[in-house]
Amino acid sequence: MAIFMAVFMALWSTAFKTSGSDVISGFSFRMMIWYLIMTETVVLSTSRIFLDISESVKSGELAYSLVRPISYPILQVMQSLGNSLPRFLTNLITGVAVVWPILGAVAGSFEGLCAFLVLAFLGLLLDALIALLIGLTAFWIEDVTPVSWIYQKLLFTVGGMFVPLDLFPAWLRSIVDYLPFRLIVYAPAKMFVAFSLGSFCAALLQVCIYVVVFSVVLLAVWQAAKRRMVIQGG
Amino acid sequence: MQHLQLILTYLRHNLMSAMAYRGAFFLQIVGMILNNAMFLFFWWVLFSRIPVIRGWDLSQVLLLFAVVATGFGIANAVFGNALRLARIIATGQLDYYLSLPADPLLHVLVSRMSLSAWGDIVFGVSLFLLASGLAVVKLPLFFFLGLASAMVYVAFAVLVGSLAFWIGNAEHLANQVLISLITLAIYPVDVFPSAVRLLLYTLIPAAFVGAIPAGILTGFSWSQVLLLLIVVPLMVLGARLVFNLGLRRYSSGNLIVTRG
Repeated sequence: MAIFMAVFMALWSTAFKTSGSDVISGFSFRMMIWYLIMTETVVLSTSRIFLDISESVKSGELAYSLVRPISYPILQVMQSLGNSLPRFLTNLITGVAVVWPILGAVAGSFEGLCAFLVLAFLGLLLDALIALLIGLTAFWIEDVTPVSWIYQKLLFTVGGMFVPLDLFPAWLRSIVDYLPFRLIVYAPAKMFVAFSLGSFCAALLQVCIYVVVFSVVLLAVWQAAKRRMVIQGG
Repeated sequence: MQHLQLILTYLRHNLMSAMAYRGAFFLQIVGMILNNAMFLFFWWVLFSRIPVIRGWDLSQVLLLFAVVATGFGIANAVFGNALRLARIIATGQLDYYLSLPADPLLHVLVSRMSLSAWGDIVFGVSLFLLASGLAVVKLPLFFFLGLASAMVYVAFAVLVGSLAFWIGNAEHLANQVLISLITLAIYPVDVFPSAVRLLLYTLIPAAFVGAIPAGILTGFSWSQVLLLLIVVPLMVLGARLVFNLGLRRYSSGNLIVTRG
């Protein structure tokens, strides 16, 4: 994280000086760096369960969990969150500790922090659902790593990890605003540096809708996966 | 001559072994190309807002990335064990190579091939052609510069990997330093403050992996080529020297290694 922040601080400081203005698309230098810390914190805390799930699918170990009283998808989502949240806290503290002494001030507000925490939690929940879906595709395709790479890279790009979506060209913005990725990365970070109650409520509603949608899809895929497992294993 | 033969034989052997699982091989290549392409997205957005940053524009940054990707790809495809040298030394897997007549360092390095590295090579070459306006006539120069970049990377990897001879568990440190090298190489060197820039020309030679070869591509200069022709062999020889010094301290791990 340290190298990443050092490189991007140098890059953005140069970019701001070159552009000649203190603000680019509504972001000041300080806001930009704090935005990056927040996106880094979330992205570094995203779920890694797709690998475990695909391994247990390939080894057949998944069959044993069918006997357990708790539903497998719920178990995996909870496990993923249980892994993500401590990492989230550690990353947040590390990131703040690296950047605050250098920048001297926080480009955020208390409401922004609360909004950030709420949206980040829901974002990580959404991410866990997606990761579980990716893991379950192991039932159909052997190696899930390319799918997980693509998802990760989509988070980096249209999720707004490196660059806030405010800098995107308008035509791209209109597409990206409907995709779930920005809710995981961009939305929480933006709320921290530029809190607005209207945007917060809109983002909250959107992420809840996506959580419901993905949960439904997940249950359907899980049913299909179980059927496939029975056919092959017996 | 013997060394070249060893490299080529292993290259052919590793490729054949990769092609035995063709689907997985191509998937790795495609995956890596997509992986790299996403990074370009960031530069595209940034340069659409700020067209020139400290003398660098989008096409120059693309050429920089093309050279670094190709160099990294060549390094890991041909010398696939470069990144894992510290672990190989620390776990005593070096014994296998020491008991054979071929040069141990070279043998260790070429025994493995990274499959996704071919994706980096394909990506790098394609990006070069795109960013330079299909300057096919410059391809030989591009390959030469990619090779130079690869040699700097491998030499540096051998250097940090050889630390395992002295400090034992150097794997994590070596990994971090190598990741830093590539991370720093893909950003235009002029955005960094001068103290950092000095670092990039010396201790962490990111400038030799990226900025200098890319500079030669955009504005050919014999003095820069000469600089490369002097520094790169020096680095390679230096790395070999450090490895050999470390090897003298090495005592067998008594690990029985079987190789198929």
